[in-house]
Amino acid sequence: MANPNKKKIVLPVAPDTEAHGPVKHLYSKKVKLPYGVPGHNLTEMEREVSIDEPPALPINEKLNVLGKRTKRVDAIYKVTGAAKYTADIQLPGMLFGKFLRSPHPHAIIKSLDVSAARRYPGVRAVHVLLMEPGGSVERDSGHDAPAETYNMDQLPRLRYVGQPIAAVAAESQYIANEAVKLIKVEYETKPFVLELDKARKKGAPIVFEEVIEDGGNEGDVGVKAADEQKGNLRGPTTGSFLGGPRGDVEKGFAEADFVLEKEYRTQVQTHCCLETHGVVADWQPDLLTVYASTQNTAGVRDDLAELFGLPKSKVRVITEYMGGGFGSKFGAGHFGVMATMLSKKAGRPVKLMLDREEEHLSAGNRPNSHQMLKMGFRNDGKITAIDLTSYGTAGVGLGAGVGRVAQDMYECPNFRTAQYDVFTHAGPGAAFRAPGNVQGVFALEQMIDEAAERLGMDPVKYRDLIDKHEVRKIQRMKGAEAFGWKYKKPGSDPGPIKRGFGMAQGHWTRFINLNSSATVRINKDGSVAIMSSVQDIGTGTKTILAQVVAEELGLMAEDITVKIGDTLYPDGPGSGGSVTAGSITPAVRNAAYKAKMELLGQVAGAWDVELSDLDMKNGEVFSKTDSSKKMSFGEATKKMRTNQVMATASRPDDYGGFEIGNGIGYGRLGSVQFAEVLVDTETGFIKVERVVAAHSCGRPLNPLQVESQINGGVIMGIGYALYEDRILDLNTGYQVNANLEQYKLPYSKEIPQIETVLIEHYGAFSSTDASGIGEPANIPTAGAIANAVYNAIGVRLYELPLTPQKVLAALGVS
Amino acid sequence: MNRFEYIKAPSIAEALDMMDSTVPEAMVQKTDGSARVVKAGGTDLLDLIKEGILEPGRLIDLKNIPGLDKLSFDKEKGLQFGPMVTIADLEKSKEVKQHYPALYQAAAHAATPQIRNMATMGGNLMQRPRCWYFRSNGHHCRKKGGTTCFAQIGQNQFHSIFLTNVCPCVHPSSLATALVAYDGKVELTGPEGKRVLPLSEFFTPSNVDVTCENVATNQEIITNIMLPPVQDSTRAHYIKQGQRESYDWSMGDVAVVLQMDGKKCRDARIVFGAAAPIPLRRESAEEVLKGKSINEKVIEQAAEKALEGATPLAYNGYKVHLFKTLLKRTIMEAAS
Amino acid sequence: MKNDSKERSPEKKKQGVSRRAFLRGAGMTTAGTVALASGMLSFKPAEPAPAKTALMGPGETEVSLTVNGQQRTLWIEPRTTLADALREHLHLTGTKVVCDRGSCSACTVWVDGTPVNSCMTLAVDVDGREVTTVEGLAKDGELHPVQEAFIEHDASMCGFCTPGMVMSCAGLLERNPNPSLDDVKLATSGNLCRCGTYPKVFDATLAAAKKMK
Repeated sequence: MANPNKKKIVLPVAPDTEAHGPVKHLYSKKVKLPYGVPGHNLTEMEREVSIDEPPALPINEKLNVLGKRTKRVDAIYKVTGAAKYTADIQLPGMLFGKFLRSPHPHAIIKSLDVSAARRYPGVRAVHVLLMEPGGSVERDSGHDAPAETYNMDQLPRLRYVGQPIAAVAAESQYIANEAVKLIKVEYETKPFVLELDKARKKGAPIVFEEVIEDGGNEGDVGVKAADEQKGNLRGPTTGSFLGGPRGDVEKGFAEADFVLEKEYRTQVQTHCCLETHGVVADWQPDLLTVYASTQNTAGVRDDLAELFGLPKSKVRVITEYMGGGFGSKFGAGHFGVMATMLSKKAGRPVKLMLDREEEHLSAGNRPNSHQMLKMGFRNDGKITAIDLTSYGTAGVGLGAGVGRVAQDMYECPNFRTAQYDVFTHAGPGAAFRAPGNVQGVFALEQMIDEAAERLGMDPVKYRDLIDKHEVRKIQRMKGAEAFGWKYKKPGSDPGPIKRGFGMAQGHWTRFINLNSSATVRINKDGSVAIMSSVQDIGTGTKTILAQVVAEELGLMAEDITVKIGDTLYPDGPGSGGSVTAGSITPAVRNAAYKAKMELLGQVAGAWDVELSDLDMKNGEVFSKTDSSKKMSFGEATKKMRTNQVMATASRPDDYGGFEIGNGIGYGRLGSVQFAEVLVDTETGFIKVERVVAAHSCGRPLNPLQVESQINGGVIMGIGYALYEDRILDLNTGYQVNANLEQYKLPYSKEIPQIETVLIEHYGAFSSTDASGIGEPANIPTAGAIANAVYNAIGVRLYELPLTPQKVLAALGVS
Repeated sequence: MNRFEYIKAPSIAEALDMMDSTVPEAMVQKTDGSARVVKAGGTDLLDLIKEGILEPGRLIDLKNIPGLDKLSFDKEKGLQFGPMVTIADLEKSKEVKQHYPALYQAAAHAATPQIRNMATMGGNLMQRPRCWYFRSNGHHCRKKGGTTCFAQIGQNQFHSIFLTNVCPCVHPSSLATALVAYDGKVELTGPEGKRVLPLSEFFTPSNVDVTCENVATNQEIITNIMLPPVQDSTRAHYIKQGQRESYDWSMGDVAVVLQMDGKKCRDARIVFGAAAPIPLRRESAEEVLKGKSINEKVIEQAAEKALEGATPLAYNGYKVHLFKTLLKRTIMEAAS
Repeated sequence: MKNDSKERSPEKKKQGVSRRAFLRGAGMTTAGTVALASGMLSFKPAEPAPAKTALMGPGETEVSLTVNGQQRTLWIEPRTTLADALREHLHLTGTKVVCDRGSCSACTVWVDGTPVNSCMTLAVDVDGREVTTVEGLAKDGELHPVQEAFIEHDASMCGFCTPGMVMSCAGLLERNPNPSLDDVKLATSGNLCRCGTYPKVFDATLAAAKKMK
């Protein structure tokens, strides 16, 4: 039987852990790289690396372009409206698609008749899904028979409001919208279950009778085996790629001086990408071209090639500008497959962008969680045991775990977790900025705060005691200093409006995607281009790539043309999991270095000097020994024997190898955030006044953009902490707030004063030694706010979002 | 969005001649796509059409009718403005800010700056509720002619705590909260001429007519909104509480207009927004204030009185406490 | 008031009719209108487009408006929003549609200088009026100071909210050359950004105001 819930692995959080062994080099060399935090413990680390690797870069202070606040290279196109997103693509003869979606949370389609839709003037193609969509990827390339009517044996069961059933392509969006309403469907509704707690109970309507073979990993706790499915319950997952249970938890609790045991709940959060999911698909006999709003052009290409039986060379995916993904835009998606199918049928390009409601219902979400956390503490502060049980629902999807922070952030000899997925009749979850870990921190960091209070310790000092992460220690110190941290007694303000201070920390694995390649091309006219399929999803990838090449070639970032987001170029990584900067920048630097050596070699020949005597800096090529020998970069390229020199490089293994497999790097990305809130105890209204966010991302390539990313993580965290909540009607299964009016996100007046503290940290991991920042920026915020709210009112809230309703209820006034 | 005809009405008389339906009628009785309805700013109308719950046959635009966007203030006569005056016009008016601070506050906190630039006061008073079931094409609720109220049995955290028995949607206009508190009146023009109603009689609670929120007929257009003059003794304040401070609908809003003789309250009008299907006057609380010096104790009593008879639903019990707080603060601010 | 409008209306009606008759008489057949709709031809009437009192639609009807200083004539259905008219008919895709309901202000343009949501405005409503989009903000190749400051301060990330943000912030500075942080927050209080550019939008706008002095 075909797999009904086939899902793509959408985030490199379950890395390639197969032991390929480190890559061997014929010739290697030893290089000394900066190591540690300048101003604290900076030293040098000697690494043995391939002879092809470029020389070690010094710390940022000694560089010209990297580490400097550099303007986003494509900002001008964004502020003038010239940037073309997928939603803006208009092709000659382009048709517009529209989905018919399930109005029921659980139903069987008894009959379906598309004849009226097909005949509607302006309709050019109709396609009915004969297989069940699972997660965000549709697996239905086989069917394109032009049937008019379908019976129930042919059609998949409907398992959530918004599940795609069919779609049409027509001459205008209006016609498509009208035609789709003409599809006649007879439904037989079935009992359904939406709530996490109810779905777990005996007798609850079952979402999937059959065992789902695939694991989902968006919850970031590893892959679940297929045989662990009972009723709506899947799992438990008892470990992650970092290992399974350790020690003896019962013994640990017995050794504890006190034990804390609490339950925490987090809500479903939707991604709310400003540009909805969607594509423009253009099926031509010799090439399928797809403009996609995606975080992974190469991934979309691979999906479509596989589904439509095409060689990868005949699928081109383009993402020049992209309006936000946050983890939800990886595979081809049901819309990508549908648009391609419609284009194939109609012989014309088809644009299929989800509308705002579809975006909420069917394009992914952060699963909710119910966490039962039990921790044992000794009076000296030592954690003796951690036991974490969690349930979460990703609707019809999988991957509702709560991450690895409990497992990995603090030292504790005895650890155990059981994380369950619960199926419900709701739209599928998807990876969402630090999947699982954001939920996990909300619980863990509140409990650490409680323990600190019980121990009579300042929460910052207490973490100094139990947290062995060196960089995070510096983050705590610098962050506390910037914040002006001092301990305040919980609930101690007089009057109804109370101020509170809180902090929390984050922890994120340093993932590397070795499928990160790029070409650097130097033209005879002095122009330089970078080419890779890696895409810029708003994080600033184009700019850091330009900076890396500019630094290597002695130019400025604006001198470099960045052509990325096109699978005709070498494969780049998907942009998610904070992998992009750490994965693609070494490849780009290495390619630039190779191209530079080629160019210098040709110049050396022309000047009759040794290659090793030449270098580039400040827009010039010069001899290191003979000051008369120098020329501008543009003059030097005129000496090229061919029109261009070009080099391609891929991401080598981390210097020093990987901690696990070929994707988990040594060294976790730590983060610490401090929050100041005001709580109105008479209205329950919470206002975040100030956040200090202390972070590190290896070598910061562009602090201007890093700051923006951190602001973004904090603001998204504020939304999660206070406002966002997917609200389902329990009687009809509809999301009542599937819009941007009642699904509440932070706007301008919800933005606190945000101060970022950036710790430059060198790990000697690669030729750029950079890491990402997207995930770490989002992980601690909700926990820090929750701790600050507690500090303000002296009553702890265990359930997100922290709405006025909940505050008033916790205070016992309503 | 369905296809419709469009015409710019040159005059009220011609608009009246052309219209044959109110928006509520077009959503319940005249659903065959032929309804001819008037359009002011169009922000709510377009929202309904985009959702597919309103399919008009013709929109009769009032923008070209001269004089409907005039705002005038006279110390003796009070404030008067046409239906095409935008929320932003009220927000920017010096007279409104100075003499009708509660109205100014309500205008300044409504919707978004862009919407305030577009939305007219006539449209604001005529707009349909924001109940998420009413707005959903997937829920054929009582207000749309169905038999079920999905909110009573469903997600009702933002719904009414008063007059909840038929349809607990809340009236969407937060401007109306202030207008009713100022004892505003509305002039309706029909083919037979004009009638002037106090706004408190203009709005219809859902237990009187569930499908329509006001008494305007399909042959009437709002042509004027009038507020009585303020006196030297008038004190007023308005507070809106949303979940967010930026763009948000009200979880609760309160307007208070007091006539003060020194510390003593001679007269009071108290109105709750987002508490009921209409802007809800709390006469019992007004009585508590009348003839008394405003102090914490009196305010407390008024707040208790104001929430008497509240019948909160499963998820909106918090509103009872919220309104008490908001009312106390609003009276305090107004009196100070 | 009433009399006044009655006197004016027939005249308007006449003008509206005569102009359309002229178009037809001039041999503007379907091909011609397509060219007009895609903005390849610019048809400049001798006088500003008069407001029409004729019944329009439900099929395509003629609408003339000034977009970024250029007179544009479109054939569109009355249900067409200004956002769609700009994006689909004039190919000015800088204006973004995000929520499609006036909740996010990504579609902000200026109509006669006032910021409005083009997704909640019918194109027929702006017949004869002046529309400024993000594409028209730069003058004579010079970026608007708000645009420059957005680049300088990194006030765009994915960039999808940016056109709306720029139009809100530039609109603020047109009205108030001396804004406070609260004024900027107020002006952008309807603009949604999911990437979290707000702090830098605030910085950029305040910096632009300083620079404009």
